[in-house]
Amino acid sequence: MPDQVDYRWIADDPDALMMLDHAGTVLEWNDGAERMFGYSRTEAVGTRVHELVTVPGSEAEQDHFIAETTERGRGTFEALRRRNDGTLMYVVISGKVGQGAPDELYLLFSEKDVTQLKVQRDSKSLESKFRELLDSMPDGIVIVNPTGHILIANRQAERLFGYDRDELRARPVEDLLPLRFRNAHKGHRSHYFSAPRTRAMGAGLELYGLRKNGTEFPVEISLSPLKTEETPVVMSAIRDVSERRGFEQALQEKNLELLAANRAKDRFLASMSHELRTPLNAVIGFTGTLLMKLPGELNSEQTRQLEIVRNNARHLLALINDLLNLAKIEAGKVELNFEPTDCGALVGEIAASLRPQALSKGLELIVAMPVEAIVFETDRRALSQIVINLVGNAIKFTLHGSVRIDLALDDSGEKCRFVLSVSDTGPGIGEQELASLFEAFVQGQASRTKGVEGTGLGLHLSRKLAALLGGELSCTSAPGTGSVFTLTLPEP
Amino acid sequence: MAARILIAEDHPASLELLRYLLAANGYDILSAEDGEAALDLARRDRPDLIICDLQMPKKNGYEVVRQLKSEPVLAAIPVVAVTAFSMIGDREQVLAAGFDGYLSKPIEPEQFVALIEQYLPPSLRQQHGGQ
Repeated sequence: MPDQVDYRWIADDPDALMMLDHAGTVLEWNDGAERMFGYSRTEAVGTRVHELVTVPGSEAEQDHFIAETTERGRGTFEALRRRNDGTLMYVVISGKVGQGAPDELYLLFSEKDVTQLKVQRDSKSLESKFRELLDSMPDGIVIVNPTGHILIANRQAERLFGYDRDELRARPVEDLLPLRFRNAHKGHRSHYFSAPRTRAMGAGLELYGLRKNGTEFPVEISLSPLKTEETPVVMSAIRDVSERRGFEQALQEKNLELLAANRAKDRFLASMSHELRTPLNAVIGFTGTLLMKLPGELNSEQTRQLEIVRNNARHLLALINDLLNLAKIEAGKVELNFEPTDCGALVGEIAASLRPQALSKGLELIVAMPVEAIVFETDRRALSQIVINLVGNAIKFTLHGSVRIDLALDDSGEKCRFVLSVSDTGPGIGEQELASLFEAFVQGQASRTKGVEGTGLGLHLSRKLAALLGGELSCTSAPGTGSVFTLTLPEP
Repeated sequence: MAARILIAEDHPASLELLRYLLAANGYDILSAEDGEAALDLARRDRPDLIICDLQMPKKNGYEVVRQLKSEPVLAAIPVVAVTAFSMIGDREQVLAAGFDGYLSKPIEPEQFVALIEQYLPPSLRQQHGGQ
């Protein structure tokens, strides 16, 4: 310890003064150094200067200052220093060699904080080079140096944050952040400069800017590191996303509302189904017991009238079922289960179940399909419902002749298609009716004149189901020539 | 001796219909218009079969079947849900809840008795069974 040195000058000096040995260990540390770097003399003495003020990663630079000063007797350097709170600052260092005991040399460094000077100087240099370019950009642009000072902010940035012209220059960039983010931001910032990389807009978290008047607004920020002659900097483009955040929030609220409305609709459908069926149970049930003659014999007129009641009650039930199915399709509640289906077998079963109905009217029911099995990936239940509907309609509206079901796989196009057609020798459908045939509650002339009853929803439902399966349902017909309904399903 | 069937149903017309159909086929009918009354009757009279509505006062059909299946002396009695809940998935839900069978309303009176009798042992069937 060079105790014969007079230290009084050290204590008084406004600059930071530190005395180091050749290994860079602090021997002495004055009040100026305490003020400038935040470490007390007790903390500093005996500690290596690397661990105190050297910016991590630039230890070699510090070693160089020591080596050069030792070699030449004196030296002047510019460096970035770190305070104990992590803040960076620019200093100008002048070093010289002093002599303690005859064989003891030590180094004396005097360091002056030149951050503001350097910020002003670098800012001017950037202004002259980039001002015009930056003002031409649509986003707010702020260029910040490693000490966190704004070197240049374009007009859009000034407007965005509510500052007057040139008012942002040389301010700490943290002034643009709400208080609660500032400390964390300082950490991010020094971290960023040690490993700078480009970060795109929107790649960050929810960020907020702070206007001069104290109001906050949501922002999106992109970061690009730049090397200028003077100093490495980071350029950030800042965008006010208040409007978009507003939209996003409104959209989210709307979605929740829709979800709730959908659930209410489901509950309503389930209750409606239940409430409509309950009284129908009594109507259909007791009509049945009477027709079964459980309470006693009926005359023929009583039987006829009860049958009318029963048919109409069943019609009402069919209507309720169709309406609920339709409501479910409209609400997107129909769950489809696409799986390889033996469509030939399926159509065969349906034909077998409807054949008695056809035979009772004296109609022939013909099924024509290739010998090999027609296996096609589709939803079995939806396909059945369509086919039952089409064949049921054909039987209902045809008075003489036949109903014919043709099915085939068509692989002539790019994709294999399943084609099913139901042809009848019924009265046919006029052009005008054909146009609105698939709309709800539209029934052909035949049903009105011949007293044939349908719900008026069957074709409408069938077409909706066909669309759900990704296919189409169409009809060709003319009065007097019968009708052909064709279902075409593409391979899913 | 005729088999005894307990009908738990709160809708008067539906109750009367089921009672009429089954009585006309020779069954002894017990009836309850809420879930608790149904459980009391089941415990007291040990019916051979229980027909149970789902939506009932005091205890609904799901609570009734859960209770019935948890009591060893009653657990073996077949319980069939006859309900106007007949949307897609209702049958599965009913069977998963412990019911032995599911029939939807409106019932078809011509087939109802035959369908119900499937849940009775053949010796207890009036129409389509043993005798």
